[in-house]
Order: sequence, then structure tokens, then C-alpha cells
Amino acid sequence: MELSFTVNGRPAALEVDAADTLLGVLRDRLRLTGTKEGCNEGECGACTVLVDGLPVDSCIYAAGAAAGRSVETVEGLSGDQLGAALQAAFISAGGVQCGFCTPGFITTLVAVLREDDKPSEDEVRRALAGNICRCTGYSQIVDAVAATVAGRVAG
Amino acid sequence: MELHAVDSLDAALDVLATRGERCQVLAGGTDVMVQLARGEITPAALLHVERIEALRGIEVDGPITLGALVTHRELAKGVLGDGFRSVAESAATVGGRQTQVVGTIGGNVCNASPAADTVPALLVHDATVTLRSSAGSRTVPLSAFLVGRRATTRAPDELLTAIGMPATGEGSGDVYLKVGRRSAMEVAIVGLAMRLRFDEAGTVTEARVALASVGPRPQRATGAEAALVGGPLEPDRVDAAASAVLDGVEPVDDLRATAAYRRRVVPGLLRRAAGICAQRAGR
Repeated sequence: MELSFTVNGRPAALEVDAADTLLGVLRDRLRLTGTKEGCNEGECGACTVLVDGLPVDSCIYAAGAAAGRSVETVEGLSGDQLGAALQAAFISAGGVQCGFCTPGFITTLVAVLREDDKPSEDEVRRALAGNICRCTGYSQIVDAVAATVAGRVAG
Repeated sequence: MELHAVDSLDAALDVLATRGERCQVLAGGTDVMVQLARGEITPAALLHVERIEALRGIEVDGPITLGALVTHRELAKGVLGDGFRSVAESAATVGGRQTQVVGTIGGNVCNASPAADTVPALLVHDATVTLRSSAGSRTVPLSAFLVGRRATTRAPDELLTAIGMPATGEGSGDVYLKVGRRSAMEVAIVGLAMRLRFDEAGTVTEARVALASVGPRPQRATGAEAALVGGPLEPDRVDAAASAVLDGVEPVDDLRATAAYRRRVVPGLLRRAAGICAQRAGR
């Protein structure tokens, strides 16, 4: 089937199979390798992208289901004010160690902070339940979110 | 493999009428895509139903009607109100945010996992499921729809379109409690939902208890229900219910826990749940 959709604001069209995942299409066909493959079964969140603004695990999202929809990946979010602010805060707070989970965290957090510009620490931790980081112990990531929220309020 | 993308119920039912046997229904995909990748299912086609707007409705005036495509995230936000907290609490524990924003209540029911979090909450609310086919429609109790591990009475030409629950009356309280090794992203070792209704004197007039991840399918614990009804929620009554909660239930050994562990933990969960229901009912 032909899949036509929007990726980071640009139209894309390609032939896909029903079993193809959005992750495979993004990484292997469109060469957007910022989105990572971790567990490949919807447990770790490394492959999180936004589909019409919702954070989904692209490894278990049927590529065909994205037809006509708007997909944002970490590459697109680097040009987004909130995405860029989160990225800078992750670096300052030490929220990036090996970095493999970082695109998934940033992407999830963009969705969370678009919906609620001042989440509590508890809400942030719950919202990140589907993103696994084996390096930081999460505290630096939560600190980075707090700094981003404080920056938005101040700015 | 083909992908049939439909945006109307009639179109979906047409596909199922002719090719239902070899077709896998796909909504949010959070179970189906994993099962496909593992080779656990090998359908000839996927029927993508997630764009059928008519299946997204939520009616909360009086009896509840949920379209099959209502997401866990919507339920977790508490759209059904205080009478259905067990539904919100169970939906909030289905995977992480990424699963909840696309995973659907109809999908969780049809997937018929023994560990399905939302199912015990639906069972304590006497949920019914409505199935449509091009030949007609039927509404059956959820408890009769689920017949075993990953097994339902859905016919190949049928689509689950809605879930219904009666309104909860005054003096009701409900809760969903889940035991896992960690609190996030965990498949339940045991899930227990309870709903109690009290009269003004504090007598328990109605009790529902349901378990997930204990037997091959989520099921009501009718022994505990009978023990809870008929008097105030005093320690003796709760003890009797805790002793009876596994009557007719055969806890399983699996990779998450032993049957012996489940036997130990379920009575304790029941005691906690009873206290929370009473508190929420204001009794």
C-alpha cells in the first residue's frame, strides 16, 4: 500500500507493507535515525515519536496507521522551541549519559509539556513510566524537566 | 499481508463478513503489532478500525456507554467520574503513556489476556459488550464473553463496538489494586478490582470482586462477594471474604510468580480494597 503522511512538516510518500512499523519506515526508508530501536516491543520508549501530537512507540505502530497524519521525530523537534529547550536542559542537568534513550525522552516530554506547561514532579515521573534509562537513574532527567518548566515560566 | 483501512463501521463489517476468518482487527496496535512481530498471529490481512469515529464516543449520563476505541488515556483521566475510579485506576496502569494514548478499551477486552488490567474493573461494574456484524448485533455480559486465555466468543464476522456499564448508585465505592515487581510498565502479578455499595445504615448491599492475572482469564470472585454482602463491613466479614476470595479460582504458576505467592497476596489485597471502597463510599 502507498503511505502518504507528513514527517517533520514535510510530505512523504512511499510503498509500505501492512506489517511494516513506523519505526522501520522512519529509520530504514527515510533515514531519520535519531529515533532509536530499543526493545522493539513497546516497553522501553526509545522509539517514541509524535503522531498527530501523541507520543507513540513507533516500533509497535503500524506504518499504514500513519496515513494522512503528521509525524514528528526528534530531528524535527530540534527546531521546535520546546524541544530545543529540553535538549539544552538535558545537557546542563546531566540527563544524557550514553544518550540512546534521550530522543525518546525528549519526544515524550515535548508531548507532556505541550499538554501541561507546569506538571508536578510526580506527574513528570508518571508520564515517563514508558521511557527507560539505564544510565542516569532518572533524577537528572527530572531535574532537566524542572529546569525547562522554570525557564518557560520565567521566559 | 494486506491492510484494509476503513473509516466507517459498515465498511469494517463488510470486510469481516467476507474475510473475517483470516483478518486481524487492528486498533491502537499495542498488542497486535507485538504478536505479529513474534509470529504469535499470522493473519492474511489487518483491518484497521481506529479511524471509525462512531466508535470513539463516551456517554456518561446515566448508564455508561464506551465506544470500543476509547483510549486508556481518556479513561485514566477520570472521564467516567468518581463512581468508576477502578476503571480509571486500571487504565492508568496499562503500559506507559505511549501505550495509553493509542491502546483502546475494546482492544484490551478482545485481546483477552489473563492479565488485562481493565477487565476486572469492568467486571465489578457488570459490564456488557456489544458486538456488531453485517447480520445484526448482540449484547452479552463481559463475564460470558471471556471464555479463557486469549479466548472470547467473538465470531469472525463480529466487531466489538461498545462496552456498557450501569450507573453506580449512592453509597458506592470502587478500586483497582495491582501487585507487580515495580509500579511502572508492569504486567500484573495479581490485579484485584472491588466495588461495594452500602445503605445508609452501613450494611453492604452489593459487592463485586474480580481478579486478573490469577487464573486463565479475569474472573469474578463470587465467594468473596457473597461473604461481603448482608451486614456492616466489620473485621469478621472482611476475614470471611478474604478466606473465600479464591473459592473456585485456580491460581496459576507462571514466569511472573508462583501460584503459592498468588494465594498469599490475594487475601491481603482484598482487605485493602474493602477499606478503600468503604472510605470512597463515605461509610
